[in-house]
Amino acid sequence: MNSAELPLPPILPEPTPTPEKTLRRLFLTLFLRGRGARGLNKLGTPKTIGQKLSLTLVFYALFGCMALAFLHQPVFALAVYLHAMTFVFLGMFIASSAGEILFNKEEADILMHRPVTPKAMLWAKIRVLVEVSLWLAGAFNLVGLFVGFGSACNWRFPIIHLFSTTLEALFCTGCVVLIYQLCLRWFGRERLEGLMTTAQVFVSIAAVMSGQILPRLVFRFDHVLTVGESSWWIGLLPPAWFAGFDDAFAGSAMLYSWLLAAIAVIVTGTVLWIAFGKLARDYEMGLQALNETISTRVKKHNHRRWLDRLVNVPPLSWWLRDPVARASFLLTAAYLIRDRDVKLRVYPGIAPILIIPFVFLLQNNHHKDASDVGFGVPFSGIYLGMVPLLGLQMLQYSQQWQASDIFRAAPIIGPAQLCHGARRAVLCLLALPMLLLVGLIVWLLRGDWSQLVLLLPGIIALPVFALVPNLGGKAVPLSQPTDAAKSAGRGLNMILVMLIAFALAGLASLAWSQGWFWRLVLGEFAVAAGLYFFMRRSLARVRWTSTE
Amino acid sequence: MMIVLDQLTKIFGAQTAVDALSLEIPAGQIVGFLGPNGAGKSTTLKMLTGMIEPTSGKATVCGYDLQREPIELKRHVGFVPESGAVFESLTGLEYLEMVAALYGIPQNAARARIKQFIAFFDLSFETLTDKLLGAYSKGMRRKVVITSALLHNPPVVFFDEPLDGLDANAAVGFKTLIQTLAREGKTIVYSSHILDVVERVCHRVIIIDKGKLLLDGKPDELVAAHNSGTLEKLFTQLTGGAELERRAEDFAKTFRP
Repeated sequence: MNSAELPLPPILPEPTPTPEKTLRRLFLTLFLRGRGARGLNKLGTPKTIGQKLSLTLVFYALFGCMALAFLHQPVFALAVYLHAMTFVFLGMFIASSAGEILFNKEEADILMHRPVTPKAMLWAKIRVLVEVSLWLAGAFNLVGLFVGFGSACNWRFPIIHLFSTTLEALFCTGCVVLIYQLCLRWFGRERLEGLMTTAQVFVSIAAVMSGQILPRLVFRFDHVLTVGESSWWIGLLPPAWFAGFDDAFAGSAMLYSWLLAAIAVIVTGTVLWIAFGKLARDYEMGLQALNETISTRVKKHNHRRWLDRLVNVPPLSWWLRDPVARASFLLTAAYLIRDRDVKLRVYPGIAPILIIPFVFLLQNNHHKDASDVGFGVPFSGIYLGMVPLLGLQMLQYSQQWQASDIFRAAPIIGPAQLCHGARRAVLCLLALPMLLLVGLIVWLLRGDWSQLVLLLPGIIALPVFALVPNLGGKAVPLSQPTDAAKSAGRGLNMILVMLIAFALAGLASLAWSQGWFWRLVLGEFAVAAGLYFFMRRSLARVRWTSTE
Repeated sequence: MMIVLDQLTKIFGAQTAVDALSLEIPAGQIVGFLGPNGAGKSTTLKMLTGMIEPTSGKATVCGYDLQREPIELKRHVGFVPESGAVFESLTGLEYLEMVAALYGIPQNAARARIKQFIAFFDLSFETLTDKLLGAYSKGMRRKVVITSALLHNPPVVFFDEPLDGLDANAAVGFKTLIQTLAREGKTIVYSSHILDVVERVCHRVIIIDKGKLLLDGKPDELVAAHNSGTLEKLFTQLTGGAELERRAEDFAKTFRP
């Protein structure tokens, strides 16, 4: 070690960046690169999150081409569509990112003893959230801006819509932050982590529902959607407020538009004032809460032992005879139930997607005739395949991923049994409750138990869907760093499952109405059994590869 | 006095982590802050660096009140936390320049200081600019964390297990560094479980257990007063570890084939 005998150089007067600017740059860099990056050099980093974000922006821009369907339509209809979809994207993005950005456990040890206020940290994070939200919103709305401009040479629309979208981004961010702060204030720090997950799930679901309802209404009312005496409730949906803003300044300028515009401005202002003014102190408390490592409540052991008891009674004890699979089941289940990071990724990730089968169930509810069941029930059953598929893909990421070295150090020849344990945990703890819920909803809507058999094609396909993430020995539970979790690859799987669900549900619906449903079930069972056998054998052959 | 604690208390729910701790530390002293796991050392350090709020009591560091002037206080302290946490997706240089900016040190001045530290710690500038912190070894990361605590030349520095991960050479250099810093008037609070290092380096030792002060004095005087031979033996006597050696032997015997 060299001794540095020179005194520390004096600090010469030169411009220094403010802490706020430094923090904003820091959080943006962390967001774009991810937080953990073992084995990477600086040149390698943009390939991770930055590149994926660019791809996401391109995808959003392409998705935004749907706005072309609104060419030469009233401004309010176009604006409702654009704001509703923007609301979904922003709501889901902010809900899934806010927990990690706002409350990061390690951050306390790095930043809380530096001369920065929690308020400065909060604002820097909010700015990053809003900035990235605006990139996403900008990409999605790009085509819409041209459509609005081209419809009637309405030069004001692009400017007004950009402003209202910024307002919407601020509203979404403010709402999520406010929900966290209210949770902190009302329920205290002891329950913060669990509540953060719950809050995120609800925000995601609310965003998706709000975004799903309005565009459907636009099409239903043949593009002439207005807020009138019979449809006053549209004014309760946030995207309608921002659409009203567009219509007031760049459209019909009718009274209801001005009212909606006023609501947009007042509600956004109020949310921001409460979240960043009145309750900023609660954020400081939240940060400190994560920094306090001592448990405040001694939990009864019995509460945590139910998992142990569960795996020791049939049928789980029969299903988990292999000790490695059993250990992996317990590990995965414990993380699904207790680990904040995993919960924040898995539940908000899965919940919004599951809205779609319920939308189909409700849409097809007019098929009361037993021979004409429609599309909704079989589609809902098959679409449940998304649960293990997404669940297992997301469960491979953990902040404690380096601890998974123990899997390779243990005398196990490959990851197969670990994958089986994790798969079974996801099927038991996520897919089975969802299946029961769908079954209950089908029964409540149709009032006929016999229609539950229409879920069979989905139940048969479930084990095959659940094996897909593990093919090639991938998706070993908790074995990957969390920054890789923002992968765009999940989108491809979702589209694939959706296509299969559409095809199989269409076939099941046809088979039911024409009387060959049970032959379809038998045929599907044979194909699924073959695929399942082949995939399990392939997984059993996988050996550990060298980790570099 | 550089550090003054007056009945400082922290209660988490039903558990008192720090129980009415009072003490004073003058400038230029290296103080070993000892205690068994869960004694309240890290909680005390986190309170003194403004990371968590005390439940009751007062404390001042460099004359700045913990509750009334937290930002001024933070500007005058350096802290090496036990976790050694860093933002792993920044390079070493990006991380240190970010920390410097938070203390208002301009980029050029920060870089000159960083170069001095990396020369002292035998790190190459290329490693600092090209590699992300996630790719650093534990020892290298610890050197970066120590640099980030000293970069702004604070008059008071808190170290929580600073030698964790450092190799023998780096540890020797580090010990010399803190002794020199103390001679130049800086106050060092050094929390560690490596008691022989504490015995050799520290001017004064404070032992706490269950949040309460057990002993406070010069290491050699305390050892002599309790007739314990070494600081390690004194520590185990005080914190209920006297039976440990016998229990370890008994346990090791259970491994016999």
